[in-house]
Amino acid sequence: MSFELFSNLIGAFFTLCIFSFLYKDNPLYQMAEQLLVGLSVGYSLVLTYHRVFIPYVYQPIVIRHQFMLIIPFLIGVLYLTRLTRKLSWLSRYPIAFSVMGVGSSFALSLHTAILVQMRQAMVPLESINLTLIFIGTITVLLYFFFSKAHSGTYGKFVNVGKWYMMIGFGASFGLTVMARVSLLIGRIQFLVLDVLGLMK
Amino acid sequence: MKFFKRMQELDRRWIYIIIALAIVVPLMIPFDSDNLTTPSTENLYQMIDSFSGREDRAILMSFAHDASTMPELFPMEVAILRHCFERNIKVFTFSNSPLGAPIIDYAINTVKDEYPQIESGVHYCNFGYKPNMFAIVIGMGDNIATTMNVDAEGRKVETLPIMRGITNYTEMNLVVEFSGSVAGGTWIVYARPKFGLNVAVGVTAVMAADQYPYLQSGQLIGMLSGLKGAAEYEKLVDVFATNEQSFSSEKLSDPRIRDLIKITTQSVASFTQTEFTAFLNRYPQQKDLIEKYREEKDGIIQINWSQIPPQHTEQLGFFVMDELQRKANHIKYSFKTARVGMNAQSVAHIVMIVFIILGNLGYFVQKLSDKK
Amino acid sequence: MKKTIPMMIVMIGGLIWLFWAFSPHYIMQEDFLYKFYIPWSWAMIPPATILGIISLSMMHKAKIQRRAHKWQYSFFFFAGFITITLAGFLGGTQKGGLYMWMFENMQMPMSATMFALLAFYMASAAYKAFRARSPEATVLLLAAIIVMLAQVPIGTRISKYLPDISQWILDVPNLASKRGIMLGVGLGSIATSLKILLGIERSYLGGGD
Repeated sequence: MSFELFSNLIGAFFTLCIFSFLYKDNPLYQMAEQLLVGLSVGYSLVLTYHRVFIPYVYQPIVIRHQFMLIIPFLIGVLYLTRLTRKLSWLSRYPIAFSVMGVGSSFALSLHTAILVQMRQAMVPLESINLTLIFIGTITVLLYFFFSKAHSGTYGKFVNVGKWYMMIGFGASFGLTVMARVSLLIGRIQFLVLDVLGLMK
Repeated sequence: MKFFKRMQELDRRWIYIIIALAIVVPLMIPFDSDNLTTPSTENLYQMIDSFSGREDRAILMSFAHDASTMPELFPMEVAILRHCFERNIKVFTFSNSPLGAPIIDYAINTVKDEYPQIESGVHYCNFGYKPNMFAIVIGMGDNIATTMNVDAEGRKVETLPIMRGITNYTEMNLVVEFSGSVAGGTWIVYARPKFGLNVAVGVTAVMAADQYPYLQSGQLIGMLSGLKGAAEYEKLVDVFATNEQSFSSEKLSDPRIRDLIKITTQSVASFTQTEFTAFLNRYPQQKDLIEKYREEKDGIIQINWSQIPPQHTEQLGFFVMDELQRKANHIKYSFKTARVGMNAQSVAHIVMIVFIILGNLGYFVQKLSDKK
Repeated sequence: MKKTIPMMIVMIGGLIWLFWAFSPHYIMQEDFLYKFYIPWSWAMIPPATILGIISLSMMHKAKIQRRAHKWQYSFFFFAGFITITLAGFLGGTQKGGLYMWMFENMQMPMSATMFALLAFYMASAAYKAFRARSPEATVLLLAAIIVMLAQVPIGTRISKYLPDISQWILDVPNLASKRGIMLGVGLGSIATSLKILLGIERSYLGGGD
């Protein structure tokens, strides 16, 4: 047995362990599930050490003597106070440091998700499709505007938004079915082709 | 009525078996099919293709996903890498997730096996896993080499030959992010407005519908959506890139391209007399061996590469075999994974729709009889 | 000290960041971003990772100690975690080592399969739950069926108009509804950002005093 085949068989075994859940919950699935979490965590720990701690903490401080970096590292260590009850408030400092980036995302998300999108929603209505998009955007927005009761002519107009959303959700749903099937196809391609070598 | 009632109570495990069979059978019995390309895929293809052969242009592929969405995203990555290697386009790769880094190696190795002339650091460069997405996205707008510092193999990025002519987003003008969750978020929010970077995404089909507002506004210049997007891109590479042609929508609607995109095994390479002489002249050492397998039909020379025994394929070498397979329009399995998958997808979708219809039929018939 | 100072850091830092988004001045781009913020944020990543690992380990340790439901499986968490960590630190992270081998042949197949399970549940739900109970649900199902058919090669054989109809659904009604929702969600998150910047929203600081 070649090493590649052995590796593939191991992969196939764990794939089947997970699939066994379809029949019913069983020890093999439980084992695989916990092993998966353990492996993912251990993998990230080692990679964080080699790719983050060494180049961005150890080397600058110990080799290049940038002692200022001890401060953020110690602030980072304050995350660990989360584990105690009395000192857990100290972990707010590193959290505050990462949350302050909200200032830039405030400005730039405003640009990306609101201004540019609004500009696109206000183009001249030169075609039927552009008109339909315009009506759809407005009615969907109004549908979520709850300060005015959805009744009378206004209610009927706003209701158009609901139909737009149903078509939109339908499209999302169709694509979601597709995505899940694709993932299964990928796994079966692995089992049938890579492991059993049934087609090339 | 009893039948419909029993149908409503069908055990879910039967459904599981049917859906599994709907996927296994078409995978094992491949057939030719055609995936129509959509504008969002064509736009991305054309943009990447316009960088062909240029020293001062490059693309960046950002692998923002782990193994859980690989079946959808991996064939896209392979197809784009193949496009770049085929058309001599500089390509960089990186991942901001530790779980994405091994997928980069896997993708590059899959394609590189078929392109032995492609070199790391010259034609492509893998930056590997780099944490802190925000710092990377903003930093590269100023200088790529200083931001990335070293590549995945530990070499200083600024000393690599690929960096000649490449400084920042002005040259590395396109990023394609593959993702199952964020879809180019950081790039669209920060790099697009601040540096004018072109952003495209390869997303799982689940997220595809949500990207249309960004596509229409031009914030995304292209999108590959799910396995279909991958299949479309694979097709475009086979139709244009491997034949050294640039994109044209006329050619795409020409029925003759069907010969170029067959996903079943194509074993006969056909040459005209002049083509064959040129072919032989390129490989003088293997000339006699090639002649051995030559057959002639109506003035056209044919070689069936699948009939060449393994000891001879080894003697002929990689390049001769590769050229024979290209001439036969044979596509290697790793370059048609998505399209083979789409066959299974066809059957599975039909089964799903039948399930929805049958389920509803049973429901309404039962409701009617309950009323009575 | 406990809440006010972290809040002040967020408010002042947030305003500097806001200024950064508009100002190309080198003090903002060079000194603030490259010399201060980026190296500092990098240095804070390793302890955050450690925190995650410790709390997960503590959870499993407690599970074993209390003999909680399915406690035996927690040993597999430690087995996987310890083996791959040792393999990584002792054997290195290069391809061909035990570390990468375990990742590629155990972690990757398992995590890929987790989501593949959903295809089966989807099929079961398609049969048992997706009912056209109301006009709205009927429209949703119809749109879904058209998109599903048009996505696959067989759809074009059924009708050559199908891909165009599906593309229209995605390009027009889908786009309009997603844009409407996006603007709504976007405005909501912008408002939250603003509340954080102004110190009105403090839930990120957690409970307690």
